[in-house]
Amino acid sequence: MNPAEREAKLLEVGGDLVRSSTADETEIVISEGTDLLTRFSRNQIHQNVGTEEVWAAVRVVTGKRIGVATASSLRPEALRGALDEAVAIAKARGPTDDWPGLPPPRPVQKIAAYDAATAEASADARADLAGEIIAAARAKKAEAAGAVEIEESTLAVVSSAGVAAAHSQTRAQAHTVVTCEDGSGYAEGLSTRMEDVAGRAIGRRAAAKAAASRRPRALSPGRYDVILEPPAVGEWLEYLSYIGFSGKNFEEGRSPLSGKLGQRITGPDVTIWDNALSPRTIPQALDYEGMPKERLTFIACGVAKAVGTSYYRARRLKKRRSSGSALPASVSYECLPLHLFLKGGTSSTERLLKDTKRGLLVTRFHYTNILDPLKTILTGMTRDGTFLVENGEVVGPVRNLRYTENVLEALGRIDGLSRRLALVRGPMVVPTVRIRDVQFTGTTEF
Amino acid sequence: MKALLERAVELMRQAGASYGDIRIREDRKEHISVQNGRPEHIAVDRSAGFGVRVIVDGAWGFFGTHRLEESALEPAVRQAAAIARASARLAGEPVVLARVEPATGFYETPHEVNPFEVPLEEKLAFLEAATKAMRGPNLKLAQAFASSYLAHQHFASTEGARLEQRILQCGGGIAATAIAGGDMQVRSYPNSFRGNFATGGWEYVRAMRLVEEAQRVAEEAEALLAAPPCPQGRRTIVLDGGQLALQVHESCGHPIELDRVLGMELSYAGDSFLTTDKLGTFQYGSPHVNIVADATVRGGLGTFGWDDEGVPAQRTPIVEAGRFVGYLSSRETAPAVGRTSSGAMRASGWHRIPLIRMTNVNLMPGSAGRLEDLIAATDDGLFLATNKSWSIDNKRLNFQFGTEMAREIKGGKLGAIYKNATYTGITPEFWASCDAVCGSDAWQLWGTPNCGKGEPSQTARVGHGVAPARFRNVQVGVRT
Repeated sequence: MNPAEREAKLLEVGGDLVRSSTADETEIVISEGTDLLTRFSRNQIHQNVGTEEVWAAVRVVTGKRIGVATASSLRPEALRGALDEAVAIAKARGPTDDWPGLPPPRPVQKIAAYDAATAEASADARADLAGEIIAAARAKKAEAAGAVEIEESTLAVVSSAGVAAAHSQTRAQAHTVVTCEDGSGYAEGLSTRMEDVAGRAIGRRAAAKAAASRRPRALSPGRYDVILEPPAVGEWLEYLSYIGFSGKNFEEGRSPLSGKLGQRITGPDVTIWDNALSPRTIPQALDYEGMPKERLTFIACGVAKAVGTSYYRARRLKKRRSSGSALPASVSYECLPLHLFLKGGTSSTERLLKDTKRGLLVTRFHYTNILDPLKTILTGMTRDGTFLVENGEVVGPVRNLRYTENVLEALGRIDGLSRRLALVRGPMVVPTVRIRDVQFTGTTEF
Repeated sequence: MKALLERAVELMRQAGASYGDIRIREDRKEHISVQNGRPEHIAVDRSAGFGVRVIVDGAWGFFGTHRLEESALEPAVRQAAAIARASARLAGEPVVLARVEPATGFYETPHEVNPFEVPLEEKLAFLEAATKAMRGPNLKLAQAFASSYLAHQHFASTEGARLEQRILQCGGGIAATAIAGGDMQVRSYPNSFRGNFATGGWEYVRAMRLVEEAQRVAEEAEALLAAPPCPQGRRTIVLDGGQLALQVHESCGHPIELDRVLGMELSYAGDSFLTTDKLGTFQYGSPHVNIVADATVRGGLGTFGWDDEGVPAQRTPIVEAGRFVGYLSSRETAPAVGRTSSGAMRASGWHRIPLIRMTNVNLMPGSAGRLEDLIAATDDGLFLATNKSWSIDNKRLNFQFGTEMAREIKGGKLGAIYKNATYTGITPEFWASCDAVCGSDAWQLWGTPNCGKGEPSQTARVGHGVAPARFRNVQVGVRT
């Protein structure tokens, strides 16, 4: 079934359910698609899976009492069951007095995000891509572990308020950790099109890092200037968004942006926005209330500007309409931007290195977690390629280090950003950045 | 159902599978959040489908579908076989499974009250009362949570296993969030991140005394706002059960997963410092440290009848008097260490393959009595309570945890409250510094309902039985 036909089918299924409902308001969000993933380790495929899935969330409102239930099938009895269960929940609970109603429809832009060749890629095609990565590792006498994943899906939202919108997309991604003796290196690729994910180049980048990171030396914890490559930048941005850019957290006083809109919260080089419509990310036309995605700036030149909202949260925050950041109603987190960008600068990764007197080149972080959300203090480890830089040159690998850092303060010490932006998993589009005096608080044995 | 299972087995054989299994599974989940006396979020999730897993040409293939009907069997098996053949192009030695006697039978979680049969009104009233009992001048959020899970699964393999299980789990808790002056402090009970969880019925949540504990929790959140930050330095620490459970989870539970050890999770969560050459010889901790993986303990969140390969639930020694002696393993990985499967393969649903997951990884009780006895026996130290954050490197060596609250221990008595406490260490050094574990009176099961692993990602619900324990010379706070 082509995506247009599937969008039409899901809109029809959703419309039938909404029309059959006796609740004051009814909304259904349906996702249908396939996810195919090939994992490899030690240069061999060891797990290889595929699923076809349907997920449907029904939200009903009766007398401002809200109920939500989900199903995993398009069969009428399954959807009817979810509707009945949502109605039963609504009846059992008290009203949400400030419920503004489901959002009225707004035009949703059609954007190209579906590649038929990617959607039809076979298990052999995934094995071929994995094989390219493995071949690049073998050429360096190294071992590759990683995954190749192909997803294709359609999202449709239909509501009694008149919303009827759908979007289809494909996503192809590959990532690898290559190990070479005691060294390891990481690389990844992500696109809406499988043909854009270059296995050999991904494998070569990771293998080169793995070879270069052999025999790392211990380095004392302390403050170091750092050059963060895009996967590391992306991890910080993702956590910053999670704790900071949700309208719900913002209103509850749990966001570092709470009460600070219009105020400077980080350095002038920091501009962060969400833009799901950009072809530079994995585009998405609508949110989970069927509202159009739009560009939304959270931090402009270091000044807090906005947070992402669902329709309910937008109305509570005295906004006329949502920012298109709604999550499915079955998710308690409510709203979150999902397509972040960090503005680049005028430099390049090579120039940032050359201009560094003494510092660390960090490929990526591992197991980041939140110590203090209001102060944006995070901790985590470096991983898969951490190098000491002296006088503009990479002088050798170092053992992985633990950072414990106030991220908004750290971003305020950015003194260089690459012009080139990279799409990293999330999805996020980010530059390489150099930051002065990042606090490393521990080290490990490898 | 039986006809579907038998037909799937027949199709897997016809497709050339040297081994195959099918899991038909239905999941039902209910999540309730109450905030400041009002329902904040209520959702019920249902998911049903089946997944077939085959070995063809010596390699694995899996396909899962939501289409729970006989006509979907043949295409699903065909897809799984095609995926396996593609795997075989880049596979190593053919997969060999450790032998297991094909089992037949039925298992159901012991319980008194099915949580899905408790009226929602009753659950809401219970949780609303708890939030209304939390009061304080800076208390911005008074929250109460309850979640229930039912997984009903049929399993059949080409070897002859035929199993049915109904696993019922539930839990809940409360949290008080105080915010003032640019600071936010959270205090939770009985554990952070939505409470504590177990296999069992609604009687488990009813027994939590959420209303009775609510005001203390609120008062402690307020006290933390006014408290000084925890001083840094090398200290003796006593960990409460909730924090120690997560310490076991991160620094023992994950590194003993044999798939991690063999590199199968390397590109995602990482591998493990507990390499196979260490089995039986490595000194993981002090002689006070005894750890088992026990899928049979009643009430554990990781308790079941059989794992998702049809291997019976079992109790596996992991650390004996500080010495590392065992792994969590699967039928595929166990032969790498010359053993049979420890029965730890678990899938998060019909749409995912089973992976090696924790069952109930338990620190066995010691001889230090109750928590009060351990505090009384500690001259100078810190009591750290309730997890707030966690992070550990990709070999599970360097860790850092934060806790909601710290209390000074002086002369065997609890003293000042501190906020923002963290501690850090290297796993075997930390466990070597354990010099006391409380006894069986203080031993309790804790549930971790959010354990992530694998690609595509899976969330498992696992358990940890622990009694509070003491550790010497631990780095508290970060060195700047």
